[in-house]
Formats: sequence, C-alpha cells, structure tokens
Amino acid sequence: MLQHYLSVTIAILPFLWSGFVQTFWISLVAIVAGSVLGFVIGIVRSQRVPVLHQLFGLYIHLLRGTPFLVQLYVFYFVLPNTGIAALQWSSDMAAFVSLSVYTSSYVAEIVMAAIDGIPAGQWEAAESLGLKRIPVLGLVILPQALKLTVPPMSGVYVNIIKNTAILSVIGISELTRQGEITIMRYPRDVLFVYGLIAAIYFVYCYPVLRFTRWAERKVGGTRHVDLD
Amino acid sequence: MTWILDFYNYRIVEQYLGRFAEGLENTLIAAAVSLVVAVILGTLLAFGRMSSRAMLWRPVAAYVEFVRATPLLVQIYLIYYGLPFLVPVTRRWSELALGIIALSLHNAAYMSEIVRAGVASVSRGQIEGGKAVGMSYLQRLRYIVLPQAFANTLPPLLGQTAVLIKDTSLLSIIAVFDFLSAGLLLNSERVRPNESFLTIAAGYLAIYAVMLGLSWLVRRRLAGPAWNAGR
Repeated sequence: MLQHYLSVTIAILPFLWSGFVQTFWISLVAIVAGSVLGFVIGIVRSQRVPVLHQLFGLYIHLLRGTPFLVQLYVFYFVLPNTGIAALQWSSDMAAFVSLSVYTSSYVAEIVMAAIDGIPAGQWEAAESLGLKRIPVLGLVILPQALKLTVPPMSGVYVNIIKNTAILSVIGISELTRQGEITIMRYPRDVLFVYGLIAAIYFVYCYPVLRFTRWAERKVGGTRHVDLD
Repeated sequence: MTWILDFYNYRIVEQYLGRFAEGLENTLIAAAVSLVVAVILGTLLAFGRMSSRAMLWRPVAAYVEFVRATPLLVQIYLIYYGLPFLVPVTRRWSELALGIIALSLHNAAYMSEIVRAGVASVSRGQIEGGKAVGMSYLQRLRYIVLPQAFANTLPPLLGQTAVLIKDTSLLSIIAVFDFLSAGLLLNSERVRPNESFLTIAAGYLAIYAVMLGLSWLVRRRLAGPAWNAGR
C-alpha cells in the first residue's frame, strides 16, 4: 500500500513540479503587473479627481461583482472576438492579463484605503512648508501609506496563488492542470493525487498567510479592508 | 441597428432564457444551502476554536488553515472525487449535492473566522460588567456577547456571502448546470461568446448590486448611528 503510493509519488512528482513552477511564475508576474496597475489606480482614486474617480470606481465594481472564472472567459473568448488585432491573444496571455486586471482591483482599494488612512494633519503640515500636492504625496504620504499596505497586500498574494488554479480551465499547464493530466494515468489514485496537489499549494500559501498575520501585528492599527 | 445585433444579438439570448433561468435557480440553491450550512458549521467551529482545550482548538485551527491556504477548485475536486470513494453512500448523490458540500466546508472555515472576530470584538469590560451585576455565563452570552457580536458579524458575513455566490460559478467545472453553465452551453451550441459571457457577467453584476444594497441597508438600519461612528 505504502509502496504503491510511494511509487506513484515518484512517478508524478516531475509533472507536479513543472506545474508548480508555472503556478509560481504566473502568480509572481500577475502580482507585479497587477500591483503596478493597482497602485496607479489607487493613487489616482485617492486624489478624488472628479470623473476619473467614478470611472475607476466602476472598473473596481465590475471586477468585484463578477466571478474570476467569468472574467477569464471574457478575456479568453469575448475580447479576441472583437476583431481588434491586439486582442487576438494566446491562452497564456489571456490568463496573465485577466489575473493582473483582477489583482489590480483589490490593490487599488488597498492603496486608496492606506492613503486615506494617513491623518489629514500630515497633508496640512507638508503644505504649510510650501510643498506642492505631488511632492507631498511622493515624499510624505506614500512612504507612510506603503507600510500600511503590506499586510493586506500579502493577503491578496495568497488570493492570487489560489486563483491560478482556475486558469487550468483554459488549459494553462499549471499545478492543477498537471494534476488532471497525471490522473488520466493513475485514475485509481484521484484522491491521493489531489491530496498531494493540495499539500503543494499549502506549502506555497501558508508561509505567506503567516507573514500576513505577522505583518498585521507589526504594523497594527490598519484600517480594515475586506478582501474578496 | 444592425451593428448591435452583430455585437450582441439579444434574440439568441431570448431563445436561451429558459436555460439561463434554470442555471440561475441552481446557482441560487447552491448558494443558499451552502450559506446556511456554512454559518451553522462555522459558528460551531468558532466556538471550538475559542475553546481552551488543545484537543478541541488545534484540529479546528488546522482545518481553517488548510482551507485558507488551498484553492477552492482543488477542494471541490477533493470532495467531488474523494467523498464517493470514502463514503460509499454519496456515490449516487448528484454533482450539485457534492458541490454544495464542498462550498459549505470551504465557507464554514471563513465563517468561523468571522464569527470569532465578532465575538472577540465585544470588549472585556462588557463581560466583566455582566459578571459584576451577577449574571451567569449563559445570561452574559445571551444578553451581552451575542447581540453585539451579531451586529459586528453581519457586515463581513454579507461580504462573504457575496464571495460565496461568485464562488458557485466554479461548480460549472464539475458539471453542475449553474448560471455560468447556461452561458457555456449557448457558446458551445452557437459559438457566440459575446451573447453568452456578457449576459453571464451582467447577471452576476445584478446579484452583486442586490448584495451591495443589502449590506448598505444593514449598515444603516440594524447597526444604528452609534455603531457606525467608528468607521
């Protein structure tokens, strides 16, 4: 029995490893791209520029109001169907773009909440020293706000890692998809293979989850931003 | 007008309205049942987690951490393929039933954290005040802790419900005919991605709008001005 599981593990481990590497890279690339996009949107939204604020608010609502799976289908089926040449992308590109856009909506909310969380006295003090709005933001507000974003941002990171599993439905060969393929070879060990996959995700996500909690204690007093 | 029909031919959607309604029904059933089960199970887990007995809180904590650190899709697969293997009775159960079990077990972990945070939010002084006037444990729970914990729990609970409704879309992957599946059916029969997926997205947005309105009402009516002052 144990011998059997051991031989299955040894046989499928290379496939699961290559799947994990894919999961790792796509989650990393998506968090970087999504964070950059989200930071820009969050900073713009925090300045309450009349039309832009509402426009980006709508963007965030659209992304929060629909399941990621539906967004993935829209990016994979609907956008290439519009006839615009630049949107005729591969499944890899659709996966990367949809995951990044999805991430940006959460990051934008976190960044805006963090900037709003800095006391108004900081703005007033910096302006009374003669600084203009942009330098105040860059030199005084953002360095303080960035610290506040660390715990919720790592929470978002866990979310992204978990959402990469959904990319398996459009054939990205990440960890879950690799598992589905190996199950075709070992149909009797479905439960064992998925258990192994769950364990690999756990090993990847759990340290980030612990870091989130540690950072929450360390930073303290953050305004609560509910994820999801 | 023809460009609209080229981009989004509502007449095709009209033909599939019955299937969309059928899918929506399954989505709402899955969401409602797993919400009720998850709240009940989550409350039990929360009290287990708050226990001082290591035999009780350690397994519960491990379960919550496992659920939070693994993808829901993998959990759905584990239940869908694993449960009929472990518990033979479930072999004849429908995909919908197995999907509801997976969603319930997943959300119970999140609900337990919400309930725990709600109970923890009742300040120590409140409970000591109850002790000082001679209330028993059950009286303190009934008159002091639970009413306040309930008010503090409701907003995050509604937020988690919105997530739960969105998460039901993953059941389409294990062949439950949910709202998203109706769109997938339209797309596979007619090859019209716009009509299928934009309709689906609009449907989920409508549900989201209802949830937003609901949480707005709760914030205003149940909690009252005093409770909102801190936010």
